[in-house]
Amino acid sequence: MPEVYNDYFGQFGGRYVAEVLRTPLDELQAAFVEAMDDSRFSAEFDEMSATFTGRPTPMVHAANSSRELGGAEVFIKLEGLANTGAHKINNAVGQILLAGRMGKTRIIAETGAGQHGVATAAVCAKLGFECTVYMGEVDIARQKPNVFWMELFGAEVRPVASGSRTLKDAVNEALRDWAASYGDTHYLLGSALGPSPYPDMVREFQSVVGRESESQIDRMIIKAGLDLAALVACVGGGSNAIGFFSPFLDRETPRLIGVEAGGTGTGPGQHAARMGGLGRAGIVHGYKSLFLLDADGQVQDTHSVSAGLDYPGIGPQLAALGLSGRVEFNRATDREALQALQFFARNEGLIFALESAHAGAEAIKLAPQLPKTGAIVVNMSGRGDKDLFITAKELDPERWKAFLLAEAGQIPQDRGDGGSRKSRGRRMM
Amino acid sequence: MSKIMAHMVSFFPDRDRSMAVAEGLVTGGASYLEIQFPFSDPSADGPAIQTACRSALEAGFTVDKGFRFVAEVKRRFDVPIFIMTYAGLIYARGVREFISAGCDAGALGFILPDLTFGYDEGVCEVAEDLRTNVMPVIVTSMSKNRLKLLEERHPGYVYVALRHGITGNPTELGAENLGFLDRLEPLGARVMAGFGISERAQVETLDPHVHAAIVGSALVRTVAEAADRTSDRSIRQSADEIRSLLTEQMTGLVGGS
Ligand SMILES: Cc1ncc(COP(=O)(O)O)c(C=O)c1O
Repeated sequence: MPEVYNDYFGQFGGRYVAEVLRTPLDELQAAFVEAMDDSRFSAEFDEMSATFTGRPTPMVHAANSSRELGGAEVFIKLEGLANTGAHKINNAVGQILLAGRMGKTRIIAETGAGQHGVATAAVCAKLGFECTVYMGEVDIARQKPNVFWMELFGAEVRPVASGSRTLKDAVNEALRDWAASYGDTHYLLGSALGPSPYPDMVREFQSVVGRESESQIDRMIIKAGLDLAALVACVGGGSNAIGFFSPFLDRETPRLIGVEAGGTGTGPGQHAARMGGLGRAGIVHGYKSLFLLDADGQVQDTHSVSAGLDYPGIGPQLAALGLSGRVEFNRATDREALQALQFFARNEGLIFALESAHAGAEAIKLAPQLPKTGAIVVNMSGRGDKDLFITAKELDPERWKAFLLAEAGQIPQDRGDGGSRKSRGRRMM
Repeated sequence: MSKIMAHMVSFFPDRDRSMAVAEGLVTGGASYLEIQFPFSDPSADGPAIQTACRSALEAGFTVDKGFRFVAEVKRRFDVPIFIMTYAGLIYARGVREFISAGCDAGALGFILPDLTFGYDEGVCEVAEDLRTNVMPVIVTSMSKNRLKLLEERHPGYVYVALRHGITGNPTELGAENLGFLDRLEPLGARVMAGFGISERAQVETLDPHVHAAIVGSALVRTVAEAADRTSDRSIRQSADEIRSLLTEQMTGLVGGS
């Protein structure tokens, strides 16, 4: 059995934080290890998964796509059908149950695209925790719908004006809050990164995706006489990928393929791909891994059409698995992701989240290279409803603009401040 | 007069004016300078120092230029200097290379808040080897076990953060944090303490309990405001203004006249 708590993965990982954060992290580590050994905790997690998250999520045979691509059979794990639309909720459920065990009453989180924030706010609403979500001003501006949902769930969304005003700065701000508030507050980090024990903890809570997939693969692929060739997942920080891959990490097959954001090119600020030679070893946000850095170690700007992949670092375990060769890494560009989104919508009636569409793009490239007896499984980590304002602008700009203008015209002046929001000093949209 | 370690960000607002900052602080009576090398993601710092770090990077700070800056401050003002920065910059350069470049520049030691015991990337060994100081940043809530680790290190200097949280917010001095300072006495280290120290009265309260008080954000805010106010004047006039304001502020803080 692999260890639940590893701290380091090869040369990567660790806990590089100020002394003030050592105490809450030491306590979190102890509580996590203890909970993972307690069948009551896993029972609580399973109960929430079944009744709230909506597990198990289905796996579908993408028969039309497979026929069109003309190679391996493509299967899709529909993780995006989980409540709030992405895998993020698995981690939110796990950590908030753990926070409850630790006697914490308040949850703080960072969010970029807003998916982790929405999942966190939803679970906080369900389980009765006070919730503060840090979000960069740039992300607030481009992800308004998710801000709206978080506030509807009763969370406070605090705009972050420091640094590049995106996800990485929201992480800094959450760490700053926690350094003063850890007595009653749990910091719910949203991906498989950060100071230990987060990378281990997030993997464990996301491994439900992998365990479920394994039995679905057995039923739908192995029993059908197909040969499981590869699992494919997009990689921002790496939580959906490491969870999906986790049951297979200690085996030699199938191939495990992580797909990073290729953006618009390979220059600084054009992409968010840390593997394949573009990243450097560094220490940021409390962990050692591969990051997009300049020669001094300063964090560089990143770009991706998908906000959820737009982050300069990769989780330490995936970085180590990339160097050891167990996980292969490729990139998909913004364009390829958008094409994959259209491809699977037309063929399968599925709307991939833009993040997950990067994995879809890899499947489109890979399937034709494999024999017909092979099978690949793509993790659709999220569904794409959340991206409507981005995809519609990209794919159908004229008609979308006309629609938005018409919509804006329908909002009466005196209701423009959003009359239905609850009080509690909440920000205006 | 009280001893104070005055914090500044190198290259804030730019290289030349940060030299004026150093000069103003030393003229006003600072006993030590804590010179921060700006990092893109300073997660232990509050808004004042974050903003300063961002400006400093925009003003062209690089690690090499930072060492040259430290060397010049040392040569011109002959003040003991601690270089403060984050793990990211040290790790990128290589621990030994970074520490030894800092020593060559004339630094007395290093303040590396996110390289704590157990996860220090070997800085303590390297510092011992190169006969320089790493000044651990500790907190009053530190566990007994971790305080033991501190003792075993026999540090020459210790930096106590007087409350939880980040730099820049106000701090109350009372039995808890002052008592903690007194309990450090057997360490035999020179204990400095800061976080939220901005007024003479606080420095006076701290005085009997520490080797030196540390003042950071309060000074950085002065620099930021002065730079803002003089943005339409020449760099030289702006530097003069910054220098004299800091001299005045430091003089007040140390209790000089
Ligand atoms: C749907 C979806 N997939 C993937 C990601 C990327 O995160 P990770 O790599 O941790 O799975 C996000 C992040 O917001 C997301 O919303």
